[in-house]
Amino acid sequence: MAANVANKPVLANPPAELERVPLVENNRSIGWISDAVSRIVEDKTPKWWWAAFVPSFIFMTILLTMLAYQISTGVGVWGNHAPEMWGWDIINFVWWIGIGHAGTLISAILFLLRQRWRTGVNRAAEAMTIFAVMCAGIFPAIHVGRVWYDWWLFPIPNPYNVWPQFRSPLMWDVFAVSTYFTVSVLFWYIGLVPDLAVIRDRAKTRLRKILYGIPALGWNGSNRHWNNYEKCYLILAGVSTPLVLSVHSIVSLDFAVSQLPGWHTTIFPPYFVAGAIFSGFGMVLTLLLPLRKLMKLEDIITMRHVDLMCKVTLATGSIVGYAYCMEFFIAWYSGNPYEKFTFWNRAFGPFGWSYFTMMTCNVLVPQLFWMKRFRTNLVAVFILSILVNIGMWFERFVIVVTSLHRDFLPSSWGYYKPTPVDILTFLGTFGLFFTMFLLFLRFLPMIAVSEVKGVTPQADPHHPLGGAKGGHH
Amino acid sequence: MKIIPPQCPEPETVKYWKSIDQLENSAEVRTWIDREFPDKASEADFNRRDFVKLMSASMAFAGIGLMGSGCRKPEQKIYPFSKLPDDYVHGSAKFYATAMPTRTGAIPLLVKSNDGRPTKIEGNPDHPDSNGSTDLFAQASILSLYDPDRAQRFASKGSDVSREAANDQLSAISRQFAANNGQGLAFLLERAASPSRNRLQQATAQKFPAAKWFVYDAVDVDVHRQAASLATGRSVTPYFRFDQARAILSLDCDFIGAESDTHLHCRNFARGRRVSKAGDPMSRLYIAETLMTQTGMNADHRLRISSSQIVAVAAAIGAAIAPGLAAIASRFPLPAGVKPEWIAECAKDLRANAGAALVVAGYRQPLAVHLLAHAINAALGANGKTVQFRETLDLKEQGITQLAADLNAGMVDTLVVLGGNPVHTAPADLNWTATQRKAKTVVRLGYYEDETFAGSDLHLPAAHYLESWGDARTADGTVVIVQPLIQPLFNGVTEIEVLARIAGLPETDSYSITRATFGGNDEAWKKALHDGFVANSAVQPAAVPFNAAVVTQAFANFSVEAPSKDKLEVIFTRDYKVDDGRWANNGWLVELPDPVTKMTWDNAVLVSRKTADELGVSNTQIVDIDLGGRKVSAAIWVQPGQADNVLGLTLGFGRDKGGRIANFNNEKVGFNFYPLRSAANPNIAVGAKVTATPAKYSFACTQDHWSMEGRPIIREANLKQFNEHPNFVKELDFETPPGGNESLYPNPLDWKKQKGQHQWGMAVDLNTCVGCNACVMACVSENNIPVVGKDQVRRGREMQWIRIDRYYTGSPESQKSHNPLTPDEEQYREKWIDDPQVVNQPMMCQHCEAAPCENVCPVNATVHDDEGLNLMVYNRCVGTRYCSNNCPWKVRRFNYFDYNKRPIGKGLYTPVTSLKHTKKEDEWELLKLVRNPEVSVRMRGVMEKCTFCVQRIEGAKIAQKVKAGQSGDVIVPDRTIKTACEQACPAEAIVFGDISDPKSKVSLAKADTRNYATLDFLNTRPRLTYLARIRNPNPAMPDYYDMPLTSQVFAEKAGHSETHAAAAQKGGAH
Repeated sequence: MAANVANKPVLANPPAELERVPLVENNRSIGWISDAVSRIVEDKTPKWWWAAFVPSFIFMTILLTMLAYQISTGVGVWGNHAPEMWGWDIINFVWWIGIGHAGTLISAILFLLRQRWRTGVNRAAEAMTIFAVMCAGIFPAIHVGRVWYDWWLFPIPNPYNVWPQFRSPLMWDVFAVSTYFTVSVLFWYIGLVPDLAVIRDRAKTRLRKILYGIPALGWNGSNRHWNNYEKCYLILAGVSTPLVLSVHSIVSLDFAVSQLPGWHTTIFPPYFVAGAIFSGFGMVLTLLLPLRKLMKLEDIITMRHVDLMCKVTLATGSIVGYAYCMEFFIAWYSGNPYEKFTFWNRAFGPFGWSYFTMMTCNVLVPQLFWMKRFRTNLVAVFILSILVNIGMWFERFVIVVTSLHRDFLPSSWGYYKPTPVDILTFLGTFGLFFTMFLLFLRFLPMIAVSEVKGVTPQADPHHPLGGAKGGHH
Repeated sequence: MKIIPPQCPEPETVKYWKSIDQLENSAEVRTWIDREFPDKASEADFNRRDFVKLMSASMAFAGIGLMGSGCRKPEQKIYPFSKLPDDYVHGSAKFYATAMPTRTGAIPLLVKSNDGRPTKIEGNPDHPDSNGSTDLFAQASILSLYDPDRAQRFASKGSDVSREAANDQLSAISRQFAANNGQGLAFLLERAASPSRNRLQQATAQKFPAAKWFVYDAVDVDVHRQAASLATGRSVTPYFRFDQARAILSLDCDFIGAESDTHLHCRNFARGRRVSKAGDPMSRLYIAETLMTQTGMNADHRLRISSSQIVAVAAAIGAAIAPGLAAIASRFPLPAGVKPEWIAECAKDLRANAGAALVVAGYRQPLAVHLLAHAINAALGANGKTVQFRETLDLKEQGITQLAADLNAGMVDTLVVLGGNPVHTAPADLNWTATQRKAKTVVRLGYYEDETFAGSDLHLPAAHYLESWGDARTADGTVVIVQPLIQPLFNGVTEIEVLARIAGLPETDSYSITRATFGGNDEAWKKALHDGFVANSAVQPAAVPFNAAVVTQAFANFSVEAPSKDKLEVIFTRDYKVDDGRWANNGWLVELPDPVTKMTWDNAVLVSRKTADELGVSNTQIVDIDLGGRKVSAAIWVQPGQADNVLGLTLGFGRDKGGRIANFNNEKVGFNFYPLRSAANPNIAVGAKVTATPAKYSFACTQDHWSMEGRPIIREANLKQFNEHPNFVKELDFETPPGGNESLYPNPLDWKKQKGQHQWGMAVDLNTCVGCNACVMACVSENNIPVVGKDQVRRGREMQWIRIDRYYTGSPESQKSHNPLTPDEEQYREKWIDDPQVVNQPMMCQHCEAAPCENVCPVNATVHDDEGLNLMVYNRCVGTRYCSNNCPWKVRRFNYFDYNKRPIGKGLYTPVTSLKHTKKEDEWELLKLVRNPEVSVRMRGVMEKCTFCVQRIEGAKIAQKVKAGQSGDVIVPDRTIKTACEQACPAEAIVFGDISDPKSKVSLAKADTRNYATLDFLNTRPRLTYLARIRNPNPAMPDYYDMPLTSQVFAEKAGHSETHAAAAQKGGAH
C-alpha cells in the first residue's frame, strides 16, 4: 500500500479512502447553510407545521385541564393507591427527565470530546432537553397532595425555622433537576446568540430586527466576541458535563435510597444514566428523522449523524441490558428471598407483560443496530427509535409499579391500574412538548448555523475547498 | 362524680306562670310550647353553635314546660350550662358508666363525653364479668347516635305529628283496650334482658291480660336458653366458661364472632389460651363447622362439614362419650369424608379432660343438637364447671309465625312493634308487608324510617341507648344501668316509655321507670350509676339436674337431609358487621373489612372452591339462587375452608330503604338474602339451586392476596414444639450479616432517646388475638378516621389505621402446586385453599426506631420524638407519599380526597365542576359531633397513620406533671395509658407501655420468649413487636401436623440453607 501511495503525486486532498464523509454533504457552501437554516424561520409557515401544531396545542389544553382537575379535586383522580403510592406520575417524570439527557450529552460531553458531528443536531437536541425537563418537572410538582406547599421543598428561610429534610432524595431531586434545567437553558441560549444575530441581520422588517436583536445581545461577530463566546461555551460545557451524570443518578436515588426490593440497588445510578442517554438518543432520532426530510436538511443532518446516533443507542441499550441481567443475578446472589421474589415476580408475575415489553424494546430491538442495513434504513431507524422510547417508558413502569405492587407483606399486595386522568395527563405532556418544540422550530434556528459552518471543509483553511474558494449553492 | 338528677315528678296542675297569656294557655303560647324550638329555628337545620344554643335553650324551656300538661316533660337529666356543674372543666372530657343493651344482656361501658356530647366508647373495666372488654358493635354504636338518617320525627301515616299528639294516640290505645282486657292488642318485641322492660311487660299484661306478646329476632340466639331450660327442666340460661375449659368442642358455634356476648367469650377464651413459658397450660379447640368463621380461624382442629351434617358429628362424638347416645348416633351416619379417627380422638381428648371439657352448639343448629351438646357436657361432668346455669325469667312470648297467623285471622286490632325491622327481616313466606297491614293500627318504635316505616300508622323515633335510661342484666346476671349522656337529639323515646304509656302507668319517662325498677335507696342508686352496675347482683349459678330423656324426645321426629350439588344447603347467618341489618347504615361498620373475607361494603354468596367448580361458576360471578321457588340474584365469593355444597349467606345487606350508607348512591349495598328465608328453616335450608349468569360483580376487598408465601411474618409453633424449643421465634429471624448490623450512619434516636422520660412500645400477642376487629373500630372512633366509600376501598385507599391481616395456608402437599406469582384474582381456583389453616395479625405503624419513612420525607413531616414515637406532622405534610412507598408494612394512609369534607364516595367531584358536592349541612353538622376533639381531622393531601394514640399519651403526661407538682415525679405509672385498640381488645392481646421501665407490662410481654419483630432483617428496630402464636393440636388426630402449616411452608422455602431453623421448627435436635 505504501508503494501505491508513493507512486501517486502528492495532493492537497487526503487519499479518498481516508477521507471521512463530510459533515455537510453535497459540498454545500457556507452561504447555503445560512439560507437553509434561516429559511425555516423566515419563510411562510408550512402546512405541515400547522397540522402538527393544532393537535399539539389541543393536547396541551388537555394537560392544563387535567392539572386543574387534579389540583382542585385531589390526587385521588389518579390511579395510584396503597401499595403503589406512585404510578404514572413518577414514571412519566423519570421518563421525561431521561429524554432530557441526550441534549446536554450531545452539547457538552461531545463538545469536550471534540466530536464535531454534534453540531448538526445539538441545537434541536438541547431544545428537546429543555422541553422534556419542563414536562418532567410538572409531575413531581403536582403529584403531591398539597401542591400549594411545594415551596416547602426549597430551603427558604422561614419564620418556623423548619428546613427541608436534607436526607431525602426527593430533596436532592429538587436541586438536581432545577440546576440541570437552569444550566441547560443557559447553555442553549449562549449557543443561540450568534445565530440569533444571523436572523437579526437577515431580517426584512423592523419588528423582526428588534425581536431578534434583543436576545442577540448586540452580537457583531467581532473577534473579541468570538473569543469570549468560545470561552464561555467551553466553561458551560464543563459545568454541564457532570450534570449529565448527576441528574439521573440522583433521580435513580429516589429509588435506590429506599429499602424496597427492586428499588434498593447500588447499580441504579450508572444504569439510569445509560438508560437516560439511550432514551434521549431515541427521542432525538424520532424527532430529527422527519424534520430533516420536511425541512430539507438532509445535507446537514446526514446519514452519518443517524449512523452515529444509532451506534450510541446500541451501546447504551446494551449497557441497560447488562444492568437488567445484573439485577437478576444480584437478586439471586443476595440470598434474600424478598429480593428474589421481587425480580421473579417482575418477570413472571401479574405485570410480566410490562417486563417483557421492556426487555424486547430496550435490549433486543437495539441489537438490530449492529447491522448497517438497519442503521441506514431511515424507516427502520424511525420505528426502532420509537420502540426505544416505549421500552424506556416501560422500564420505569417496571421499576415503579412491579416493585411496589408486591413487597414485604403479602397482605398489602395489590394491582395497579391508571385512570383516564393519568393517561390524559401523560398525553397532555406530549402536547406541551410538541407545542414548545414546534414553536422553537418556527421561531429559532434549529441548527447551530455558526457551528455547522465551522465543521465544513470550507471552514478549514487547510482543506482544498477551504478559504474563500466557495462551494456550490 | 356524676350529677345525679333530682327527683322531679311530673306536676299535675299548673303551678307557675309568667304572663297572663300563659295562664290562659292561649294558642300562640301553645304553639310556642309545642314547637320544640323557637320560631325560625328549624329543627333539622342547625350548625354546631346553634345546636349547643338550642340544647341549652331547650333545657331552659323545660322549666316552662312544667306549666302545660301534654307538653314536653320536665327535664331531669341535664342542667343548663348557665348553672355549671361543680366539677365541670371546659374542654376536659368526662366519663360516664352506662351499658349497651344486646339481645342477651348488655355490654357494660364507660363512655367519654366532651362538652356534653359522647365521643368514645370504652369497656367498663370494673364490671365483674366483662371487665372492660367490648366488641366492634359497641365501638361503632356511637356513630349511629349521630346518624343523619335516624328517625327524627313522630309520624302518623307518614306525616309529621307532634310528640304530644303521638303520646295522645298511645293513651288512646290504652283507653281503647282498657275496656276489653286488651283483646286484639299485640306486641312484637325483640330479645332483650332488661328488668325494667320485664317489669313493664308484666304491668301491661296485668292491665291487658288478653293482649298477646310476640318476639322476633332475625338472628335468634335464644335457642341456648331454650335448650338449657329443656335439658334441666328449670328456666335457666347457660354460661360457658371458656377460660375454665381445657378441651372445647364447638359444633358450628362461632362463639368468638357471630354469637351473642362475643366480647366475653373472646376474653375468656384468650385466658385459656395464654401461654408465656414452656409448660404453661393451654386449651384446645376442636370445631366442626360449615362456613369459615372467626372461631374456626382460631381452632386447633377444624372439620368442615355442612350444617345439616353437624348432628352426625355431634351424635358420633356423643356416643363415644356417653354410650346412651349410641342409638341416636346410629341414625345419623357420618358423611363421607369425615374420618372416624377424627371423631374418636376428639371424643377421647374430651373424655380425658372430663370436668374441664366443654361442648357448645351454635345458634344456627337445631334444638336437638343443642340438647345433644348438653348431654355430652353432662357426661363429661361439665355442668357447674365449664357450663354454668343461671336462673332466668321464663319467657312466654310466641314467635312471629304465630303473630302472622293471628294477623291473618284478623285477631289483631292494634300491633305495637317495639324495635326491629320486620318488613325487612321477617321470613319471606310470611309476606310480612301485607300481613302487618292486616292490623287496623300499627304502632312502631323504630330507629330509622326504614322498610317497616311505610306500613306503620304511628311511627315513634327510638332513642339511642346513649340518650335514654334503661337497665339490663349482663350474661352473668349482673344488673347494669343504661345511663344517658345526652339529651335525645331527635326527641326519641324508648320501648319502656311506650310500654308505660300503653299500660297507662303514671310514670312514663324512662328515668322514673328505671329508678322504680331499681328500687333501693338513693345512695345505692348513686353508686350503681357511678359504677355502671349493681355490685353483687350476679345471679349465682344453680346446680341443676340434667334430664336425659329430653334428648331422646327431641330426636324422636328429627331428621336431616344431606346437601348435594343439585340440592345445595343454604346457611343464613348473622353478618360480622351489620348483624341482621341493624347496623347497615353505620359507615364505620359497613366499611370495616369482614374478619374472614376482608370484604367491605358488600356481602356475597360464600361457596367452597369445589362447589364453585361443580356449579361452573367463577369468583365474583353473579348467580341466581332458587330456594323452594324463592329467588335471589347475588355474586359468588369463593371462600377457603368452607364446606362443600353449601351457600353461605349473611343477612342484613341489600336494604330497600336503609339510609345513605345502606342505600349508598341510591343503590342497595350488598345483597338481601331475606327473600330466601322461610319461617320453618330460618337458619339452615337444604334444596337450593344455582344458575350462573354471565354478569360479574366487583367487590371491594382490603386484602387480595391469601397466602403468606412462606415468609416468617406471623410466626407460630405447636405447643409441643414450643415446650421443647421455647426460643423458636428467634430461629426464624434472618441471619445477621457478619459484622452485625453496624451502620455507617448512626441513628439520631440513639442519642435523642437519652432525653426521653419514657420509651413507648407495644406488644401484640398473636396467640390470644382472634381477629375480632374491635380494635379497628376503636381506632376509627378514637382517631377520627373517615369513611371513604366502596369505590375508594376498591382502589386500595381505605383509611383504617389498624388492619387485621389474614392469611390462609394449605397443607404442604397441596401448597406445592401453589404459584405465588399468579394474579390474585386467580387464587380461588387453587386447591390448597380447601382446608387451610388461618392466621391473623393486627397490623399498624410499627414505630420503628430507624424508621424508613422518616429519612425519605423531603419536608420533615414525619419525625421521631425522644420517647420513640414516630410522629406524623399533618400540617407539615406535602403529600409526596414516598413514606408509604418506603414503609415495609404499608401501614400509612393517604388522604387522596377531602374525605372528611366531601360526601362519602363523592371525592371525584371537584369543587370547580360541582359546588354542591360538599357534605350536606345537616349530615355534616351531626357527623362532626362524633369527632374526638383531641385528634386533628386531616385534610386532603396529607398522610396519616397510627400514632400510638399520642393524644392519650400526652394527656396522661400532662396529668402526671400536674399531679407531680414540685415532686418532679413526671414518669407516668404503668397501665395509666391504654391505647384505643388496647382498651377495646376483648382478648387483652395488645399491651402498650413504657419499655424503659423493666417492670411495665409491655416490658414483661417483650421479655417473653415468643417475642419477635416482623421483618427483623431490615433492622428498622420496630417498637411494636409480636408474640408468636401457639397452636395446640392433638397428636393423635388425623389432621395433626408436626408444625403449623405456615412454618412448614417457611421451612420448605428456606430450603437447606435454613436447616437450623427448620430443624428447630420440626422439633428435632440441633
